Parts: sequence; structure tokens; C-alpha cells
Amino acid sequence: MSAVDGLSTRRVGMTGRVVLHVSPRAVVVGAVTLALLVVLGILTLTMGKLGIPPGGLWTAISGHADGKEKFVFEELRGPRLSVAVGAGAALGVSGLLFQSGTRNPLASPDVVGMTAGAGAGAVVASLWIPLLPLGIGAFAGAAVAAALVYLSTGSGFAVPSRIILAGVGVSAMATAFIQYVVMVKDQDESLSLAGYLAGTLSARTWGQAQFVGLACLVLLPCALALGPRLRLMELGDAMADSLGARAGRTRSLAILIAVALCAAAVSAAGPIAFVALTAPQIARRLVGGPHGAVVVSALTGAVVLVAADLWVQQAGWLGDLPVGILTAAFGGVYLGVLLVKEWKKGSA
Amino acid sequence: MNRLAARGLTLSYGNRVVCRDLTLDLPDGAVTAVIGPNGCGKSTLLKALGRVLTPTSGQVLLDGRPAASYKTKEAARVVAMLPQTPVVPEQITVRDLVGRGRFPYHSLLRQWSPDDDEAVQSAMERAGVADLATRPVAELSGGQRQRVWLAMVVAQRTPVLLLDEPTTYLDVAHQYEVLDLCRDLRDLGITVVAVLHDLNQAARYADHLVVMNSGDVIAQGAPGDVLSADLVQEVFELASTVIPDPETGTPMVVPRARATARSVSGRSDAPSAATPAASPSTR
Repeated sequence: MSAVDGLSTRRVGMTGRVVLHVSPRAVVVGAVTLALLVVLGILTLTMGKLGIPPGGLWTAISGHADGKEKFVFEELRGPRLSVAVGAGAALGVSGLLFQSGTRNPLASPDVVGMTAGAGAGAVVASLWIPLLPLGIGAFAGAAVAAALVYLSTGSGFAVPSRIILAGVGVSAMATAFIQYVVMVKDQDESLSLAGYLAGTLSARTWGQAQFVGLACLVLLPCALALGPRLRLMELGDAMADSLGARAGRTRSLAILIAVALCAAAVSAAGPIAFVALTAPQIARRLVGGPHGAVVVSALTGAVVLVAADLWVQQAGWLGDLPVGILTAAFGGVYLGVLLVKEWKKGSA
Repeated sequence: MNRLAARGLTLSYGNRVVCRDLTLDLPDGAVTAVIGPNGCGKSTLLKALGRVLTPTSGQVLLDGRPAASYKTKEAARVVAMLPQTPVVPEQITVRDLVGRGRFPYHSLLRQWSPDDDEAVQSAMERAGVADLATRPVAELSGGQRQRVWLAMVVAQRTPVLLLDEPTTYLDVAHQYEVLDLCRDLRDLGITVVAVLHDLNQAARYADHLVVMNSGDVIAQGAPGDVLSADLVQEVFELASTVIPDPETGTPMVVPRARATARSVSGRSDAPSAATPAASPSTR
């Protein structure tokens, strides 16, 4: 520091007290979303024919229940709810990292071909390597797609426009591959795959829950640590560079973390559409500022996915549809509304 | 030893070389204006000085030490830069935006302190935007917005401040406001380097003038010594008369009227000479 004197050293020498900058609004929004998530979680466990009676809920959670309740909690709804929370949080943060990293509000892991890549991986696993679980195939497929995009841009994940171009290409190839396989394989197999390819939460296991949980445990703190740099990315690459945040490196790191989070979610629940796109947008609107976006995106993603899953479970006429179909339908509508709003803003 | 200097800088975008082997010392505690025609490399030079563009070869020196050897946040505590077109994030308030300038002082465990509040407040007062603190930046006028950006780089509390065309898109009164602010900052001991388009503003506000053309520094020094009709003709291909500014006595470039330029220069390539002469008036 010897070379830096005058105006700057006075600042640097200050004793480092741990002071976090948290906006009161973000805290309130976070608390409300968390409460909503808890309520939805309780509903998921208690509603319907197989629901655990609210009185017996604690007994079931603490592992003292037996019979039907034990089965419902430990085999059916418990893992399903846990995967929904973990995958939702992972997708929410993944989308946020993509959107802030590329300064594109419509970016999501899909732009680097992750959804299609995961699908292709799952197809390969189920049809040609029967011993390999679908989830691992999907994880590998997503990773391969992201790696292809990373390598084919010539600049890693540093230039947004190249990421999107390469992502569209990889996505198209992976989709063509899935369609080819589904066409040539026999119908029964194809049909069972279709559910997975839409993204589903039925018949989840604790193993899947642990996997996505572990991924969140490792990667969400990374995303939090990257938060301040990501906020500077919003000011443009030049501004971020000159403030010492290294735009290219920050963007690459953000997308790497996002890819890993998305791959974990996809391997546990299949390629669930639109949660990664919508959750961070809702979250940012709720917090109304730069602070707390990571935590609220995670919570919002979990709320969206748990709510959608509760709906497909309990609305009889939906017949336990893959939850991905519901999120895709609503996500499509949301995207339409968003585009109309943008369009109106532009023409006003 | 100067706080900010360039040694043998070669700057390029991909294969296109913009500056070759450029060496320059920027005077401390002064306002330096960098002028030159479009595409002469002045913004590119500023980007390299501000560590936004990595030189192909050569070095930027901060306090005599290669900028590349600094940690990025450490360098950001010495040099602040306001690029030409920074992006305003959605929904951000003035205070929040100015607060982003404090990033170089933060770490994982030390994110915000009362010290930062003080720096942000005084920067907003300095730039005259303190009364806008809680307003969303998106709602402000162009002039107000530019002052908010200036407040942000002032909050960075660096001894060197680089401004890339800080007066562009502002109406004339706001242009002078920004230039006066540059002077105020210089009076606090800050080294200010600004890329400017208006020659008369540059001559009036700069202590030191750096004139660039096709990637080279053509001339530098006090505006009164550097700015002449010959130089303006050579660098900008503009026929002009240079007279003392009636307010300050600094050189003032008055472009020749089009018809006169033709008859006075009397050159055989009169039509092509008339084209550059016409362009400043269209800007």
C-alpha cells in the first residue's frame, strides 16, 4: 500500500468492523417469502387423501410416526417437498446469476442450452446405459452442453452475445438429438421419458433431495459472495472494471455457478421450465433494489416450485401432471405479459 | 514522478491497432484535457489509463508502479473512471448508485461502514445531488444524471479521476456545470483527465492540453502554447482563426465561414477541404 497515499490511505486503514448493508425492505420481503414457503410446505404435507393430519405432522417430521404417516412423509411427500425446495432455490439463483451476469432480464440457464442438454443426457442414460440413473445422465448432459458453449464462444462466458448465439446452436443440436431418439425408440420407453423431459417431482427420493441440498449448501454462499461484484456488472462492463470488479471474470464465475446450480436442479427434478427465468424477476421486483436479491431469488424459486407442485398434486383434474408442464404454461403467460409491458414502455 | 503515466503503450481491439508505442506523463493536481478528431484513440487511451482496456504492450504506471501489478481493488482506490455510456440499473436510487463507488473499500467481511455513508454524502453534496438522494436515477434529467455519475466516481475518493466525454449529451449550461466541478475537484488536489470534444471548453478549463491524432500525441502543454490555427488545421482539418477568449484570455477557436475558407485557402482541392470544414457545424 506504500505507493497509495493521500486521499486513499485514510480509507484503507480503517479498522474492519463487520458491517453488512441490508435494506429493511429486503429483510421484510425475505421474511414474508420464507413464511409463505413454510405454509406451502405444511400444505404439501397435510393436504389430500394421503395427507398427514396436521396434529401428527411434528411426530412424522421428528421420525416418531409409524404406519401410513411414516410412509407418506418418508417415502412420498417428504422427499418430494425437499427436492421442490432445493431445486426451486437452485433454479431461482441460477436465473438471477444469468440475468445479472449478462445484463439481460430474459436470460436463463436455457440460453446456454442446459435444458436441452440435460434432456439429451437423460435420453442417452435411459436408452443406452440402463444402469445409469436418469439424474446423473441429465447432470452430465447439462454439463456437456454448458462446456460446448463455453468452448465454442472462444472467450468463455465473458461476452454475452456470443454465449447466446452458441447456446442457441447447442440447444438446437441437443433438441434434434432428443427428437431423433424418441422417434426411433419404442413408444413405451419414449412415453416414460416424456414425463422426465418435462420436469417432474413425483416419486423423488431422499438421495435426490440430498444431492440438490448439498449443491445449494455449497453454491448459494458462492453466489452470495459474488453479489457485490454482480451489482457492479449492472453499471456496464467498463464501470465494473474501473471499480475493480473485473467484469469478464465476474461474468464467467457467475455463469459457472449458475450452470452448476441448474445442473443439480435438473438432475434431481428434470428440466423444469421457466422457474429460473421468472423467480429472479419476481424477486427483484419485490426487493425493489440491489440488496438481498440472491436470498429472495432462492426463496421465490422455492415458493414458485412448491406452489406449482402443490397444485398438480391436489387439483384432481390435473392428474399429477409433471410440474414442469404447469410452470411452462404459466411461465409462457408471464413472459408474454412481460413482453407486452416492455413493448408499451418502449412505445410510450 | 507523476501519479499517472503511460510508457510505450500499444493499444488494440482485436487485430486493429489504435495506438502504437505511446508515452505520456499526466501532470499531478491539474486538469488535463485530451482532444482530437473522432477515432484518434483518445477514448481508447483513457480506457487503458483506467484499466478497462488491457494494453497489448507497454505499461500504465500508477505512482511509478505498473498498474498491472496492483490488485484490482487497490488500483480502483487510486484511479476512478467515468466511461462514456455507463448503464443505469432499473429502480436504483441516487444514494444507492453513488454508494457503488465505495466497492473498492469493501471486502467479504467488511461491506458497509459509517465511513462509506460519510463519503457518499459528501460526494453527493460536492456534485450538487444531495437533495436528489432518494430519487430513482431513471427519473432524472440528463444533466442531473451526469452529476450523479460524477458523484459516484467522487465517492470512490481516488487521487486520479478519468472522465470520458463527460459533457456529451448535456445542454450547454450543464456542460459548464460539469467543467466547473472538474475544476473544484482539481482544487482539492485531484488529478483530472477528461476527453473533451469542444476545443474552447478544453482551452478554458484545462491546465494541460493533450492533442491526439491517429493514435499519436501530436502536441501537449498549456492551452495558450499549444492551440493555434495551424494545429487545428493539421489535426482537425478545419480552417479557423484563434483569438483570445474575451472572458478568460485562453485561446478560442473560431471556425472560418465556409465561403471564406474556400477563397482564403485557395487550394485546388477546395471541394474536399470544404467537407471537413462543414462537419463541425453539423455536430
